Order: sequence, then structure tokens, then C-alpha cells
Amino acid sequence: MIMAQLYVIQSADFTFLLHQTGMTPGNLSAHLSKLEDAGYVEITKEFIERKPHTALALTKKGRAAFKEYRQKVKQFVEKLPE
Amino acid sequence: MVQKLIFVLIYNRSIQTARELKTAGNNQVVTNYFVIQSFISQKVVYVVEVKILAKKPNLKEIERRAYMSYHQDGLLDIFAGLYVLGFGLGITMEILWDFGFGVIMPGILIATVLPIWIAAKRKITLPRIGFVSFGVRGANKLMAIFLGVMVAGLGAFFAFTFATFQGGSRQWLDLIVQNGMIIVGLGTLAVCTLFGYSMGLRRLYVYGLLAALVLFIGHFLGIFFAYILTALGITVMVVGFALLISFVKKYPLQGDKAIVE
Repeated sequence: MIMAQLYVIQSADFTFLLHQTGMTPGNLSAHLSKLEDAGYVEITKEFIERKPHTALALTKKGRAAFKEYRQKVKQFVEKLPE
Repeated sequence: MVQKLIFVLIYNRSIQTARELKTAGNNQVVTNYFVIQSFISQKVVYVVEVKILAKKPNLKEIERRAYMSYHQDGLLDIFAGLYVLGFGLGITMEILWDFGFGVIMPGILIATVLPIWIAAKRKITLPRIGFVSFGVRGANKLMAIFLGVMVAGLGAFFAFTFATFQGGSRQWLDLIVQNGMIIVGLGTLAVCTLFGYSMGLRRLYVYGLLAALVLFIGHFLGIFFAYILTALGITVMVVGFALLISFVKKYPLQGDKAIVE
């Protein structure tokens, strides 16, 4: 879900993902940490107008992995009997 | 949720149940076909239709929702309505006082509305739903549509004008002047449909249809063009304010919940 959200945009912050995914902050944070460890998500912390801002974006590796995943699912679904 | 569904489906050993669940309102959660091959009975292979968002996300729908969430604040409607209202009032004042309001009013709006809109987005929308960047791809798509509409419109106009002048007749220009409101109505419908489709904002279709309908009626009833623009502008603004109130209620300002931050 998180990967899909980030796949269709360039970047977003934590609050945006929170609303879009409907997850709890703790849950989302845990998932993001795992995705960051896997090298799929890049977390950039910066200050905008003196306020902390966390930008989240898919890395090239993450984008490629998600694309591959989608292709595999597509192939899997196509092979299914009606 | 998904595990629960699968459990229920296997338990009931029935494809019918899956279909019932699908039609019973689980369509939002579910978007994909998933097969469970269960050998509970040793003979029967259960092929169950379950749409699972996590298995094959509908990216277009996700993208549409992302766009929609960014524009559900009603600010786009308020400022678009303000533009239309400004043009309507500008033309009316021009006719009443002949003081160049027809040019001044839209000029003032074009110069001031965009910066105010950006500031309002920063103050109202971003603190509530967060920041999102759709990137170059999203911006390019909108720009391509905008330029496409402009080029197509101008191309059609010049092509017809050129063809008409070749024949030494002013029929084409006269036709435009006589049916100006219908042409504007159709143009508005086309632009609203294109932007509504590309941005995933279905209410733009309604605006397009409303504008076309009102301008058509106005043309046949002989209602002054500026009055229609003014009414349309006010209507769109009212919808925008209603959306803004609903948005502010739905997403109240909260403390910083971002654990990552």
C-alpha cells in the first residue's frame, strides 16, 4: 500500500501518507523503517519555514522492485482459470 | 480483513459467497482477483474471487485519490469561481460605466488570485493533509493538456477563418459572433472534461455540463453573457466554500503525530 502510494507520486510527507493509507502513525512508521532498511524508500529530513519536514520517496531500487512485483502479479492473475 | 475474508470463503466452500461479499460493499478494500487453491475436499479446487488491494493495487485509482485529496479543500473551486465572477463583473461594469473594467478586473484577478491561492494552500491544506509532490510527470500532463487545448482551439479558429476569407466571405466570423455563447459553453465543457479526467476531479465534469447547459439556455433566451458568467462564478464559489468547510471539519488541525519526524 505504501509502495503503491509512493509509486504514483514523486514524494510526500508523513502526514499525507497517513491520510492516504489510513494506517496509524506507529504502524506506518514501522513499515517505513523496514522499507528504508530494504533500500526501497528514501527518507529526507529538512526544515521548511523553520518547521521540520520529512519527505518520503521511492528509491530507484524501490521503484524497480514494485514494478517487478506488479508484473509478477499480473502474470499470476493471467494464468488463473476463469 | 483479508485473512478474515479468505477464511470465510474457504469455510463456506463457495464461490457464490465470494461474489456476495464482493457485491456487499467490499469493493473499496478489494481490487484484485486472488485464487485460493484449497484441497480440503481432495477433489475440489476452489477458485475464489477476492479483490485484494495489496496484491495488485489499482494505481490509477490511487493516483486519482491522491490528486483528489489535494483538491478536496475547495480552494480550486473558490478561486476558479472568483475568476469567472471577475470576468462577469468586469464585462457588466464595462458596459455600465465604460471605464475599461472589462480589462482591469480580469487583470487584477490574474495578478492576485494565483499568489493568494498558493498561500491558502500552504496555510489551510498542507498542515491538514500533508505535503505531496506529483513531480514533473503530473505537471507535464496538465501542461500538455492545457497546451493541447490552446493549440487545438486556436488552430481550429485560424483554419476556419482562413478558409472563410479565401472564399471572400465573413460568414464564419459572423457565425462565431452570433453563437458565441454556445461556442464558449462547448469549449468550457471540453476544458472541464479534460482537466477533470486528468486530475481525477469528477466535479469538474458537473461544472462543464452546468456551464454548457446554462450558456445554451442563455443563448436561446437572450440572457446577457456577463450575467451568466456572474451566476456561474458565484455557484462555483459557493460549492468551493461548502467543500472548504467540510474539509476543515474532516481534517482538523492536530499536533504533530509524525513519529518519523
